[in-house]
Amino acid sequence: MTETFYDVLRRQGITRRSFLKFCSLTATSLGLGSAAAPQIAHALETRPRTPVLWLHGLECTCCSESFIRSAHPLAKDVVLSMLSLDYDDTLMAAAGHQAEAIIEEVKRKYKGNYILAVEGNPPLNEDGMYCIHGGRPFIEVLKETAADAKAIISWGSCASWGCVQAAKPNPTRATPVHKVIFDKPIIKVPGCPPIAEVMTGVVTYMLTFDRIPELDRQGRPKMFYGQRIHDKCYRRPHFDAGQFVEEWDDENARKGYCLYKVGCKGPTTYNACSTVRWNNGVSFPIQSGHGCIGCSEDGFWDKGSFYDRVTDIHQFGIEANADKIGATAAGVVGASVAAHAAVTALARARSTPGLDNKPQSGDK
Amino acid sequence: MGSYETQGFKLDNTGKRVVVDPVTRIEGHMRVEVNLDADNVIRNAVSTGTMWRGLEVILKGRDPRDAWAFTERICGVCTGTHALTSVRAVEDALKIDIPENANSIRNIMQLALQLHDHLVHFYHLHALDWVDVVSALKADPKATSALAQSISNWPNSSPGYFRDIQNRLKKFVESGQLGPFMNGYWGNPAYKLPPEANLMAVTHYLEALDFQKEIVKIHTIFGGKNPHPNWLVGGMPCAINVHDTGAVGAINMERLNHVSYIIDRCIEFVDQVYVPDLTAIAGFYKDWLHGGGISSLSVMSYGDIPDRANDYSASNLMLPRGAIINGDLSKIHEIDLRDPDQVQEFVTHSWYSYPDETKGLHPWDGITEPNFVLGKNTKGTKTRIESLDEEGKYSWIKSPRWRGHAMEVGPLSRYIIGYVQNNPEFKEPTDKLLTDLGLPLQALFSTLGRTAARGLEASWAAHKMRYFFDKMIANIKAGDEATANVDKWDPSRWPAEAKGVGFTEAPRGALGHWIRIKDGKIDNYQAVVPTTWNGSPRDDKGQIGAFEASLMNTPVAKADEPLEILRTLHSFDPCLACSTH
Amino acid sequence: MLAEQDAFEAERQARLVKAVYVYEAPLRLWHWVNALAITVLAITGYFIGQPLPSVPGEASANFLMGYIRFAHFAAAYIFAVGFLGRIYWALVGNHHARQIFLVPIWSAKWWGEVLYELRWYLFLVSEPKKYVGHNPLAQLMMFLFFTIGAVYMICTGFALYGEGLGEGSWASSMFGWVITAVGGNSLQVHSFHRLGMWVTVSFVIVHVYAAIREDIMSRQSLISTMVSGWRMFKD
Ligand code: HEM
Ligand code: HEM
Ligand code: NFV
Ligand code: SF4
Ligand code: SF4
Ligand code: F3S
Ligand SMILES: [Mg+2]
Repeated sequence: MTETFYDVLRRQGITRRSFLKFCSLTATSLGLGSAAAPQIAHALETRPRTPVLWLHGLECTCCSESFIRSAHPLAKDVVLSMLSLDYDDTLMAAAGHQAEAIIEEVKRKYKGNYILAVEGNPPLNEDGMYCIHGGRPFIEVLKETAADAKAIISWGSCASWGCVQAAKPNPTRATPVHKVIFDKPIIKVPGCPPIAEVMTGVVTYMLTFDRIPELDRQGRPKMFYGQRIHDKCYRRPHFDAGQFVEEWDDENARKGYCLYKVGCKGPTTYNACSTVRWNNGVSFPIQSGHGCIGCSEDGFWDKGSFYDRVTDIHQFGIEANADKIGATAAGVVGASVAAHAAVTALARARSTPGLDNKPQSGDK
Repeated sequence: MGSYETQGFKLDNTGKRVVVDPVTRIEGHMRVEVNLDADNVIRNAVSTGTMWRGLEVILKGRDPRDAWAFTERICGVCTGTHALTSVRAVEDALKIDIPENANSIRNIMQLALQLHDHLVHFYHLHALDWVDVVSALKADPKATSALAQSISNWPNSSPGYFRDIQNRLKKFVESGQLGPFMNGYWGNPAYKLPPEANLMAVTHYLEALDFQKEIVKIHTIFGGKNPHPNWLVGGMPCAINVHDTGAVGAINMERLNHVSYIIDRCIEFVDQVYVPDLTAIAGFYKDWLHGGGISSLSVMSYGDIPDRANDYSASNLMLPRGAIINGDLSKIHEIDLRDPDQVQEFVTHSWYSYPDETKGLHPWDGITEPNFVLGKNTKGTKTRIESLDEEGKYSWIKSPRWRGHAMEVGPLSRYIIGYVQNNPEFKEPTDKLLTDLGLPLQALFSTLGRTAARGLEASWAAHKMRYFFDKMIANIKAGDEATANVDKWDPSRWPAEAKGVGFTEAPRGALGHWIRIKDGKIDNYQAVVPTTWNGSPRDDKGQIGAFEASLMNTPVAKADEPLEILRTLHSFDPCLACSTH
Repeated sequence: MLAEQDAFEAERQARLVKAVYVYEAPLRLWHWVNALAITVLAITGYFIGQPLPSVPGEASANFLMGYIRFAHFAAAYIFAVGFLGRIYWALVGNHHARQIFLVPIWSAKWWGEVLYELRWYLFLVSEPKKYVGHNPLAQLMMFLFFTIGAVYMICTGFALYGEGLGEGSWASSMFGWVITAVGGNSLQVHSFHRLGMWVTVSFVIVHVYAAIREDIMSRQSLISTMVSGWRMFKD
């Protein structure tokens, strides 16, 4: 007997009634009309769990660690009942040849029907040999596995943007997934790591609604990445009031004032931390007194210190922030103007009569 | 090619070569190759770190106050331990003292990590080397219940409870979609547990999966999230406020109660589930005492968990500090991380280059310059390696040595040193476990010993969290709420040049970060990590590291099912992202 | 070319009336409104990145940062709408109104005059040429630092503003591309926008200095021209 999606829904406490309702809703939303509902119901009742191949490139495994922290749904239920985690280096029983055989089998049996989840990213320098898998460059395994996948989930900032190993000077040329795979839908779930419940939320959304979530301009699910930390931060009233932590552990820190002046990147970071929060809603970086470091943003490692509000600009080849560059430039301009004025005054004092006596303009 | 002797092992690579790549249920990417003799006994072992990211290169020129965040991303499994080591290195370089509360919070977080990491390792990364999931289907839930109740008073132990789990498991297996259990080595003769014990272990696999996420909430409360909580040079970023207006925006009574509650549950779980399971399972594998490697020769621990803040001397550290070499248990050597002759890294067999590769470099003068070249006897091509040549360069892991010796680090090393130092906190539980199992002290130097020490340490860590929690409360009661020292926050108050070293005992062993600061920026940053020690390839003298040594002379039941190899490698809890960084 | 026409106009009319109507009323009004908006934008913008010391009291009783940001956004709208109005005026106004948008970069003569003007500022020639509109150097500076600068500040500014309004908002739809163009992390846009503030400040310093200096030195009116619209020639 094969456990189906329907069985799983039933086990989640979903009644047959609401299951059928779900099917007719799905039918209408797909523009199929109510007549198609029974067909959909039948398909779901007999469909096996979606296989997931979870590959690891250059990474730190904290996306996996985050995933198993999920409280709703529990990681256990996701793995046992919602999908079929057929390949994941971190958790799987098999190793070596037996592990590699699984990739082959899933590719064959579920061609076009499995989800590829990628944690980490492939390095491209040194023919890819900064990340070796079965004696071969990881990039090859990634491309082969992606070829027959239905969709790809880029877990974390590594797979989505490159993350820490891609920070300057990116010695291995670590490259995010969307820059090497072009022909598959890619869902980026950035964060270093992403929030557990966001990870399982994205997966269950895909399984429940059988579609890819609505993505924003940069390929992130809008439902979790549509707004900035700052937009829903509970310290926002202190920001608007102009009340800031001026120094670590000062009076204001003890009162929970805004962390903007000690470098909070909440105003430029798209993530669900200030609403979903972390580890079943216990806290999130700002609630625990440290500013957001922008860990779900592209290139957040290379935007200057985590503690500066006005951050370094590297584009100029020098490490200075806008205020240093700008104030210096404005200072130089100001000084030049003053000097120019002085010379002008001097010249004028010397030749005032002459000036007055020479009425003709230069090109006469 | 051929054979030679080192550290009392006779290496012979003439037999049948077996390759395991990827090695799974570890962190990161690893390959191992062994040669089996005619009797399927391992006579040569080659372990390879197969990834490199270049964190040390990336850190150059950055703000030392940011370094913790970069180094924390060395690993998401031992998350936080690199960050702690990093802030300690910077504080050492700049001579920054941290408040008592910050020390207590850091210790609680580090201990929570130890416990979490050990628990997840035991149940989710290591258990399947000893536990046959499929066999659990054959168990009688009543007998399982009786077994569980005989070893612990953990409440989840009724026959009905085990039957429910077994049914769920059955349904899962019958679905034909085995998920992570696909292609496991089920039925291999190396599995020794009866079905009842297997069912109990699988049940606790699931329970531990649920529970582990509770432990890390301690990180979430103090550091805002887990994995990768936040840290701060000079203390901790979480301000304490238990009395005044605004306390809701800081560490207040509710937050402290939450931590206290989690600590109690941790103590319960580790003492009522983890340690009893460990003891029970070990009871069935008493005869399988392979995998000792160099643990009976050379072990090392830097020590950690400073009782009072800012004192990193051995007497103030609650985890033992010292080195044992040449198997001489009567002498514990002192460790000086600043001494250029003690910790050194070699790259003779690593994919890096030094100007002179016959010499090791102390981390303050360390160089990280990648150089991917394969030995001339490599089989295959550069991008399709069939087998490696251990006479050439063969790993992304460097070879750290202590006064020239390959050392084993980790919970077992810490327990051996604590035991030899007659520290009752380590000696008594070890003696008790050995007595319960009816094993001699010698049995400790084995795969089993490594796994056992980890479990004992998890319990130690849980209880120590309580100690530091109470200590912090007493300190707050005495009127001290400080969590950060900002005297030297501003780089303009730093010297033009400084160097420092920070160390911890990470879950997998001795961890050190060495930093050089110049004009407010990182001039050089070198990490020498537990798995760098354990997983190191050969050095200039051909000495093998702890992984390679541990595989030596182990018989393998089925050459095409690397169960014993996994078992012993896993007993170190390898972390490859850490080892190469 | 405008400059030639200017020179001709100046020469002919200078002898006749010694005063020319250059800047029409809408342009003059725009100039001063624009100047005020930019002043507000630069000051509030500075404090958005480097806020003032914390204020005491309840958060609910204060709104300092809120007001500063509100002033910035209000001035930003005035600045942007004004700029659109200024473009409109360039189309319908007199030919001087087009100067800061159209730079005759293909004219060798014009470049020659830019050089001449540069030499005047470097004290290498004793007398500047007369222009009814902007002198060529001023025109170039206006184009580079004001016209381009304003477009730049509006694009980066509204890209940031669109973040607050949210994806799908008009600002995000129209200017969101700016964030993607700099790599997707809007922190970068903040830095670039801030840098633009300093460029603007530098421009204003030079601009105001040049206006006052020329008023005194070049024997033709400037500041009063921006008030009354009439360019007066002193000889
Ligand atoms: C934020 C401050 C200011 C900005 C951004 C600014 C910008 C401009 C611009 C864009 C023009 C060209 C007008 C056109 O041809 O459409 C202009 C012209 C002019 N501005 Fe300003 N202005 C500022 C402040 C001032 C101040 C404070 C003064 C007076 C002291 C001034 C005096 C003039 C004069 C005299 C002209 C006409 C120049 C000429 O006839 O060649 N401006 N300004
Ligand atoms: C000459 C024109 C302008 C100047 C000098 C200026 C200056 C500044 C400065 C210095 C900042 C602070 C940047 C930082 O450190 O993050 C800023 C922020 C900002 N500006 Fe402007 N700006 C100008 C025009 C505009 C325009 C046209 C808009 C359009 C709405 C705009 C919208 C914003 C927004 C949304 C922010 C970010 C506010 C926040 O993060 O709270 N600015 N501006
Ligand atoms: N080796 C190692 Fe770590 C640990 N424990 C770090 O220092 O695992 Ni990722
Ligand atoms: S994105 Fe961050 S958390 Fe995830 S694997 Fe990469 S470094 Fe680790
Ligand atoms: S703490 Fe950060 S995210 Fe929250 S209001 Fe302040 S700046 Fe915004
Ligand atoms: S640092 Fe990351 S975890 Fe959230 S609050 Fe910021 S995005
Ligand atoms: Mg290193």
